[in-house]
Amino acid sequence: MPEHCPCPSAPSLNSSPATVATAAIPAPPESFCRSCGGPTSDAASISSPPPWSDSSPPPAYRPLRAPAINAPTNTNAIILSPVPRPLPVPVAEPPYHFEVPMKRISSPDDIQRFNSSSSGRHFLGFVAALSDSARSRKISDPISPLTPIISHLLSVMETLDKWIDEIPPLPHSSRYGNPAYRSWHEKLSDKGISLVVPLLTSDELGPAADELLPYLLDSFGNPSRIDYGTGHETNFVAFLFCLARLGLVKEEDYTALVTRLFVAYLRLMRRLQTEYCLEPAGSHGVWGLDDYHFIPFIFGSAQLIDHKYMKPKSIHNPDILDNFSTEYMYLTCVAFVKKVKKGVFAEHSPMLDDISGVATWNKVNSGLLKMYKAEVLEKVPIMQHFLFGSLIKWYDSQIF
Amino acid sequence: MSTSPVPASSHGNLDEQIAQLMQCKPLSEQEVRVLCDKAKEILMEESNVQPVKSPVTICGDIHGQFHDLAELFRIGGKCPDTNYLFMGDYVDRGYYSVETVTLLVALKVRYSQRITILRGNHESRQITQVYGFYDECLRKYGNANVWKIFTDLFDYFPLTALVESEIFCLHGGLSPSIETLDNIRNFDRVQEVPHEGPMCDLLWSDPDDRCGWGISPRGAGYTFGQDISEQFNNTNKLKLIARAHQLVMEGFNWGHDQKVVTIFSAPNYCYRCGNMASILEVDDCKGHTFIQFEPAPRRGEPDVTRRTPDYFL
Repeated sequence: MPEHCPCPSAPSLNSSPATVATAAIPAPPESFCRSCGGPTSDAASISSPPPWSDSSPPPAYRPLRAPAINAPTNTNAIILSPVPRPLPVPVAEPPYHFEVPMKRISSPDDIQRFNSSSSGRHFLGFVAALSDSARSRKISDPISPLTPIISHLLSVMETLDKWIDEIPPLPHSSRYGNPAYRSWHEKLSDKGISLVVPLLTSDELGPAADELLPYLLDSFGNPSRIDYGTGHETNFVAFLFCLARLGLVKEEDYTALVTRLFVAYLRLMRRLQTEYCLEPAGSHGVWGLDDYHFIPFIFGSAQLIDHKYMKPKSIHNPDILDNFSTEYMYLTCVAFVKKVKKGVFAEHSPMLDDISGVATWNKVNSGLLKMYKAEVLEKVPIMQHFLFGSLIKWYDSQIF
Repeated sequence: MSTSPVPASSHGNLDEQIAQLMQCKPLSEQEVRVLCDKAKEILMEESNVQPVKSPVTICGDIHGQFHDLAELFRIGGKCPDTNYLFMGDYVDRGYYSVETVTLLVALKVRYSQRITILRGNHESRQITQVYGFYDECLRKYGNANVWKIFTDLFDYFPLTALVESEIFCLHGGLSPSIETLDNIRNFDRVQEVPHEGPMCDLLWSDPDDRCGWGISPRGAGYTFGQDISEQFNNTNKLKLIARAHQLVMEGFNWGHDQKVVTIFSAPNYCYRCGNMASILEVDDCKGHTFIQFEPAPRRGEPDVTRRTPDYFL
């Protein structure tokens, strides 16, 4: 849908699946300038005008930059948007040109560029592929022997966990986050390179350490703010994606990545969050799944697909949570939420409550993948911290 | 002193609406539209540095925790018996952002001289689309109209307030582009919160233990040290900067050798953080008293219905 807003910063918009889907349906008037939120000239030409245009005219001022992503109602676009599908990760070929990755995203235009680029599509495809590899599998189900790479990554998680024992929380009473977390993170920064180097077994991969390390350092929260959120979680997956790009983890390793490594990562993160009171600063509050995490809900719902008797509504059954939260990440997460949040479940966690009304885990899983794309990968406040280098490449011009 | 520019005849209706909102029942879309039109007229007359007289009670983030806002009024006194100054972040994260912001705006329209509502970084189109207010409006009204009405109104909220010429109140903190209060008075605030620049900084910056200006890990605004706060207070003959924007366990937290105080008024933030909330009473003689409070005791079940989110249809 073309946009013709007089707003000077109105960006040109590529036809994403969402906008195409909207254009096919005449009813909802959805032409809003992504910059000022005001109706575009298209809105005037649609037979039913936007509901508020009569008594609430667009503001006369010209906002400097007011990106309104996917605003306002886009139910049809969401329903018709494709479910993210697994994609094989293209393995990078030598000669390598590793670089220290940096932040690139600062506007909705940049987000659009990332998500439609090869990097963006393959990253989302990787998340979907990991999810697929956990389909109908319990955490304790046997898997093929672990590769040295995954064994090393598991030992890294153990090491990071031991550091929590070595660096106990400090007595403090001002901010929420415990300042001892800064010491923990400093240790990570100091020793980080020694955790990454053993992954890089050949001489030509050695220089990749400088590119991989920033992803690892950003995977466990921010020491300055003493917080953690879905952006950090996304960085951890980006770290794994980089390993896949280097051919160090292969598709046959994905199940182990999810049911062994990611489980260990989640356990470590929960401990960091509670011991050091990491602030849920990226939290959507009651309107998110969880104050900190998103991915384990995706992987966890995949685990439950086609389960004989556990349905999405089973999260309300305390016996099921007691007995199966060590086997299924989705239930692990719901049990955690119920433990830490006070009050009525439907009020402090309306999203989880709503999802419990969905008929099948398959539908939950596909919905969560769509939601992850829209609510994490397409949000500037989260993705402004995402890092780009030679393995997750930033494309200055549109390359598809 | 007039308490409201609204004709007396319409107070009855407005008083009924306030009574309804106090019971955590939202207004209709049409009522919100009319209310926000009136609020816009009042807010557009206010200064970027809105002068406020003592006594006044200064409050920090609320974030849709309506029942805790009701508790705040029980503890601090009802509006207009007590004068209030709220420093932004009424919406997002909590379940009742709609009821919370509608009540505060209704009180503003009814008692415009008794309550001041500043803009926080969450009173923005972009942020509310990420952190919940947009989703909540969709859920409660079935469309985004009320979100549109409120986010259009947010553009008119004053950015800062000045209590008795000595306590400077704002949501976030200082800006390297701003030396004097006059700098703030001079810019056009009626716009979406920009990604950078002085207006953005006022709503996003944080005080820090390190001196000078620092890059904010938030990705917007700056961190500022005690030297910056002292310089700013000296230049502008201020005693104190009161701000919100950060979760503090006791509900308030002194910083920068008592040149800056952080006030946070959402207890047990996000239903889980276990923090106290507080409000700051500034009396006639400009004395300061912090009042702390805990989450409101709750009676009965909330009125919630299950609705399948669009992603799962």
